[in-house]
Amino acid sequence: MLTRLKTQVPLFSMNSYTKLGEKLKLSGLSLASTHSHVIRLGRHNSKMAVCIAVIAKENYPLFIRSVPVQNELKFHYTVHTSLDVVEEKISAVGKAMADQRELYLGLLYPTEDYKVYGYVTNSKVKFVIVVDSSNTSLRDNEIRSMFRKLHNSFTDVMCNPFYNPGDTIQSKAFDSIVSAMMVQAS
Amino acid sequence: MAQCVQSVQELIQDSFVPKVAVLCSEDAQKITRKNNLNFSELLRPFCRLTSEGHMRDSNNQVQVVKNLRISVNNVVTRPSVPTSGVHSPAQRRLLSEVVSASQPAEGGVANVITAGDYDLNISDRSVKASVPWYSDWRDTLTELSTSKHYTATTPWFEAYRESFLQSMPASDHEFLNHYLACLLVVSSSEAVPVEQFLKLSQEQHMIQHNGEYTNPKWFIPNTLKYYVLLHDMSQGDEQRADSVYEDMKQRYGSQGCYLLKINSRTAAAGTDEQIPDPWSQYLNKSSLQSQVRRDFVPLPHTNLLQILQVSGLSLDNTHPLQLETAIDMPGSLDCLRAVATETKTTTVYTGVAAGTSHGACLTLNDHNRLRLFIQEFTFRGLLPHIEKNIRQLNDQLVSRKGLSRSLFSVTKKLFGGGKVPEKSIAELKNTSGLLYHPEAPELQIRKMADLCFLVQHYELAYSCYHTAKKDFLSDQAMLYAAGALEMAAVSAFLQGGAQRPYPAHYMDTAIQTYRDVCKNKVLAERCALFSAEVLKSQAKYSDAATLLIKMTSEDSDLCSALLLEQAAHCFINMRNPMVRKFAFHMILAGHRFSKAGQKRHALRCYCQAMQVYKGKGWSLAEDHINFTIGRQSFTLRQPENAVLAFRHILTNDSQQTATQQGAFLREYLYVYRGAFLRESHTVALPQLPLPCINSSATRVYFGHERRLAEGEKQAATHVSLDQEFDQDLAAVWQDLEEQVVAAANRGVVPSTFYPTQCCLNSQTDNLHFPLAVVEEPIIVEVAFRNPLKVPLVLSDLSLLWKFTLKDFSRPQPQDVMVGDAVTITNEKEARLKLLPRQTGQLTILGLVYNLASTPSTGDSTINSNSPSVRGRQDLEIQGPRLNQTKEEKTSVSHGPDRRLDPTITPPMPLLEVFFLQFPTALLCGEIRKAYVEFCNVSHVPLCGLRVASTHPDFFTFGSSSLATPLTPLSPTSFENCSAYKTLATPPGATPGSVTAVTLVSAADFGSGGGGVFGTGGKRVAEIPLGEGTLTPGESTQLPLWLRGPDQEGVHEINFLFYYEGAEKGGKISHRVLRHTVFICASRSLSVRATACRSNTLPEEEGRNGSMLVFVDVENINTSEAGVREFHIAQVSSSSKQWRLHKCINPAENKDCKLTTRERGKLCFRATRSTSKSLEKYTFADLSLGNEQIISSTTPCADFFFRRCQSSESWRPLIAVETQGRHSRSQGAGPGGGAEDITGVVRKCNEVDLDIIVLWKAFVVEDNKQVILEGQLHVALQTIGKEACSLRQKEEAQEMVLLKFKPELPPPMTRPSMEQLSHLIKTNLHYPESYSHSFVQKSLCMIPVILTLSNCSLAQVDAIIDLRHKTTSPESLEVHGSFTWLGKTQYKLQLRAQEVMRLPLRAGFLHAGVYNLGTPRVFAKLADQGAMCETSQQTATPALIIINST
Repeated sequence: MLTRLKTQVPLFSMNSYTKLGEKLKLSGLSLASTHSHVIRLGRHNSKMAVCIAVIAKENYPLFIRSVPVQNELKFHYTVHTSLDVVEEKISAVGKAMADQRELYLGLLYPTEDYKVYGYVTNSKVKFVIVVDSSNTSLRDNEIRSMFRKLHNSFTDVMCNPFYNPGDTIQSKAFDSIVSAMMVQAS
Repeated sequence: MAQCVQSVQELIQDSFVPKVAVLCSEDAQKITRKNNLNFSELLRPFCRLTSEGHMRDSNNQVQVVKNLRISVNNVVTRPSVPTSGVHSPAQRRLLSEVVSASQPAEGGVANVITAGDYDLNISDRSVKASVPWYSDWRDTLTELSTSKHYTATTPWFEAYRESFLQSMPASDHEFLNHYLACLLVVSSSEAVPVEQFLKLSQEQHMIQHNGEYTNPKWFIPNTLKYYVLLHDMSQGDEQRADSVYEDMKQRYGSQGCYLLKINSRTAAAGTDEQIPDPWSQYLNKSSLQSQVRRDFVPLPHTNLLQILQVSGLSLDNTHPLQLETAIDMPGSLDCLRAVATETKTTTVYTGVAAGTSHGACLTLNDHNRLRLFIQEFTFRGLLPHIEKNIRQLNDQLVSRKGLSRSLFSVTKKLFGGGKVPEKSIAELKNTSGLLYHPEAPELQIRKMADLCFLVQHYELAYSCYHTAKKDFLSDQAMLYAAGALEMAAVSAFLQGGAQRPYPAHYMDTAIQTYRDVCKNKVLAERCALFSAEVLKSQAKYSDAATLLIKMTSEDSDLCSALLLEQAAHCFINMRNPMVRKFAFHMILAGHRFSKAGQKRHALRCYCQAMQVYKGKGWSLAEDHINFTIGRQSFTLRQPENAVLAFRHILTNDSQQTATQQGAFLREYLYVYRGAFLRESHTVALPQLPLPCINSSATRVYFGHERRLAEGEKQAATHVSLDQEFDQDLAAVWQDLEEQVVAAANRGVVPSTFYPTQCCLNSQTDNLHFPLAVVEEPIIVEVAFRNPLKVPLVLSDLSLLWKFTLKDFSRPQPQDVMVGDAVTITNEKEARLKLLPRQTGQLTILGLVYNLASTPSTGDSTINSNSPSVRGRQDLEIQGPRLNQTKEEKTSVSHGPDRRLDPTITPPMPLLEVFFLQFPTALLCGEIRKAYVEFCNVSHVPLCGLRVASTHPDFFTFGSSSLATPLTPLSPTSFENCSAYKTLATPPGATPGSVTAVTLVSAADFGSGGGGVFGTGGKRVAEIPLGEGTLTPGESTQLPLWLRGPDQEGVHEINFLFYYEGAEKGGKISHRVLRHTVFICASRSLSVRATACRSNTLPEEEGRNGSMLVFVDVENINTSEAGVREFHIAQVSSSSKQWRLHKCINPAENKDCKLTTRERGKLCFRATRSTSKSLEKYTFADLSLGNEQIISSTTPCADFFFRRCQSSESWRPLIAVETQGRHSRSQGAGPGGGAEDITGVVRKCNEVDLDIIVLWKAFVVEDNKQVILEGQLHVALQTIGKEACSLRQKEEAQEMVLLKFKPELPPPMTRPSMEQLSHLIKTNLHYPESYSHSFVQKSLCMIPVILTLSNCSLAQVDAIIDLRHKTTSPESLEVHGSFTWLGKTQYKLQLRAQEVMRLPLRAGFLHAGVYNLGTPRVFAKLADQGAMCETSQQTATPALIIINST
């Protein structure tokens, strides 16, 4: 019984994380490379995220969607851990400057396979987009526009009088916006 | 964070200590062995010097050596460590053993770290929930930074680090681990100790210089030899020892030898003396260490060997690979058992240690001697030796400095030429290949640095390391360079005083070089450990974490796990604690721990991570952690924790897929079964998490399950679990019960009254303990909900209960009905039955059941393979929230709910009621006869049977006093039999003539006498049982007449049967049985009636009692019921004062037939009845057909009276009237106000006559003609006012739901003109035709008598005005031709009900037809002076024909 279960529970792959330290060191480099790398790979859609998450002010998930469904747990962990960085970035901005703070936080941290980007609304709702590291065609501007789109759609969700703030998002419109930004699972 | 017990400085100092070798002679070993120790072990607790030492450096400056520790070891000649840079398996095993032996103290005080929103409970296995979203950040941060309380220790990491550092092999590139000195130990008992010393000295020399042994390594060629003469006080000759020592002093100098006297205690004497055992803490670790080396050093200690075997066993079992396989095979639990014993190894050690008691022969004095010896050795021997060497090296270096460095570089440049770049590349690949000769000048400076470092001269050490580093780098000797870098950084750090900033980049470079260039993981790890500690001490947690994470590798799971854990602790110690990173790295650490076979540590890590994830909505992660915790707990044989963890996965609203849930469930069941199967059954069954029980939805039903029908019989519906609870309905029933109880208790509801509740649910009042009767089942319905996506199978459900006897007779168990297997897919209820056999107090505690998952193959039968476990769930019902007092409003408190705590009372009668031939549809007013059967199914007699109903006018059991009911022949012969009692009309009698007049007292038809009509008992009727009781098992059948409701539509009619036990004073005073019927009433006839005064002469009927009654009957039946036609069979009247006298319009056909939408009019004359009795009703029957229905008997009269009861409420008029009558009987004094007048006036218009229209309807039903009968009632109240059989007004009143004000009393209006115009009735008496010869006498005078009858009961003043009105010219023309003669105006006064005749004379001039009705009558009440007279209603035209002859 135990062996059977072992195969069914996707354990988080540890290998992917062991070289995080190196990656952290290289983060500047990889950012630079994304900027300089202008060549678009033809087969890539310009908008491709592997995981999109909306986190409530109180840091519980409002919405998480990831593309390789079998690895969902891993993305949950990744997104959850990224919240520390988000919080650090927010608190780094002084109280006085908090109003003029830019919503887009940029790259939170890279792991071996993914890059995690963050965005925080004024009401402290966090958006996290995880992108495949191999996808070099995505530039900062495109990530920005993805976040902006996400924010707009989220605002629409909040405006729905039948939506109870704090509930998980089940809006179809939002779902389709997210789907459009995701890599289509092949 | 992993807060160390040592400070960083201490840690590093202790890691690099001067090493001293020991060579021991055989005899000396024997002496030490008495204490179960060898010589180095004997010294170990005393190796730290408590006093300061002093030495002079090369510049002759005094350097203080504080807190120095030396390390004393036996000489081990075999190479222990391959120089490959990775740990040997033995070392790995040792490290793993060290880590697993160090576990957090269970039950110790938990360290709580508050980080942001989280309270983290670290180094304690118990997981503490941390829910508050917002705590005060600022406070937390300051506390975190200032207080030392909020730190965690990780002793396993320290233990690991310690043994890791101890096991560091001595390598060629550094000298810190090389032996500086050698202790040569010889026993004084030796024949010639000096010879022995020589032998040992030679041995040492051979080991060091022979080149045969690469191990151990020696620091300096000229190793310090220190001669120790060991003297056993208990054995040897002390004087001889002293003399030998004197000899030694001469030979080796007083600073090079020592006489150590030990074992001054005889073994026998010392048992009672308590001596501290300083070895125990060292030996637990060191014994392990020596175990690994047992291959190399044959230790003769048998005890120690024993320890080795014990720990060796566990070591084998905890071998990572082996453990993995053990877990993967769930069947091989024996292996796991061995794992579990792992925890006991530490206790085994202590046990052995205690048993062998190291140092048994040593007194405290001996301890002091040892201490003194070490001090002497260090300060007299070692430090001067080091001092000397440093000076030597310094001199060498200084002498060489100017020359050698430059020479070297020049020669390199000269001869090496362009070789330099090539070399660097080559050496990068093959650096470890570059080896300096041990005496190479490049190493001299390093040696000096190491020596300085060892004696804590860090400043000098740093500069030396720095120089050495440069040299090595220029030589591209990377390993050496890395070592120098590392030590340079360390000594820079240890220098303190901030003279030099800590060169962190040195460390980074060193680590990188060790790892990447030299491929030496061990050294890299050591370096990283130091670096991390230093960074932590400088609060650079982020850097430390990065470094630690970087050091994790695939090679060593244990190391990676420990480093990840430390990194996690770093994250939480940051200025802004990164709780989530902490948690995530804890999970990673836990994973690595579990891979390394450190199950307990893995579990601990997961538990700590759990604190962060718990209850934060990250359910996938939470499930994963819980699942892992569960599995780890299970393998660690903590089934309770495992079960608890699995519970969390299953009870959460899981977002996992169905297959995943199924897997979780199976795993849970497996673990659960494994956990609890082995335990004995005496243990209370454990709680199961699934399925969810909605305990507040639990319903409890008391009593048998009812059969709804039994053949033709239809059982009373009563209450059942299938019915939905309806608050309004419950109120109706309670109201009925209250009424019936009041009726049974002479109109008073007893204070102890509490409405019977057969079925308890969340909405009922559950404050009282419900009462259940012995031998009657209690059915509990439990609502299950399955939160999972996979079906659950429950089987063998039964209730758990507790019972306390109240009546102590022989105790008898209760029967528990076991439910069938239930497959729960979503929501389901289960009903469980309990049959109490004794009286007492029962408490239902919960449920016991087997839980299983459905086999995935899909076959519905539950095969025995699918794991099913038995467990319980408690039923705890929280009462409603209290909200009465202020305290209750401000706090949240709940009232009790005693649904599940029934009191079992002694037997009570139990009634069952069956209805026979009970219709479902009736015409309005239709009379039907049905039968009802009462059956006492208990063993106790039953009495006091009553029934209350919401529609008392719907049914009657007949009047018992008259004993009229025809004995029911049998229910089947009903069809052709009329419900009424009839008499055939005498053949000669004309239809419409009065055939019977009966006087009936109302009391006869109210079964309970006056009480029935009293306030409480309006709706209650006693049921006429034969003897008033039903004996056990007896049943009675009674006829029951039903009358269709007057309103069409569907009526819900509730019956509440009330009965009592024959014995009074039980806990239950009465019981009730409910029955609800639905009757569909369809329209039949509509009857309208009006009454008006007849103008016939009063003398005909005595006093002025004559009236005309017009009855309009309309067939309003819509033909869907198949009614062909209605026959008005009879019209009866019932009144206290009036009776129908005669039918005035005898139609040609006898029967009055009405087909659809036809209307018929009947006209009757009514007279005042002759009866003087006020209380009795006169029934008068006017049969229109050929048989007479005796209306004064059951059922007709019954329904009449029942109608009166029910209609009383909507006839307020009568109430006022009676009141008025009442006041008048006291005398209509002059003070009588307007109310009085109203009454008086009204009285004179009042009729109190009820018309009963009895009809027959011919209905075609199934091609058969059926005659239905019925009766309709019309109550005539006022003359001239139409009354109708249908009530319309009532409904309108019922519609008023909201009343904001109490109703105003009806305003005291003066009686209206219309009412006042009925005060006096006038009649003209005259000959209908009169012949008069106007020829003879031109004036014809005719006497006319005007009869004035006072209708009222008061004196009336009347004015009769005979003058012709000149209302219109035409009337003057027509009628003006006659005149009244004589007085034209009379003033009269009429007493109450007086009839006065006023003779008048009319004069006519011509023949013709005249209307005599011209006199105008004005009347007013005599005592109302202020009132003006009112014109009275004129009589009908009175025509007179005057013939002229």
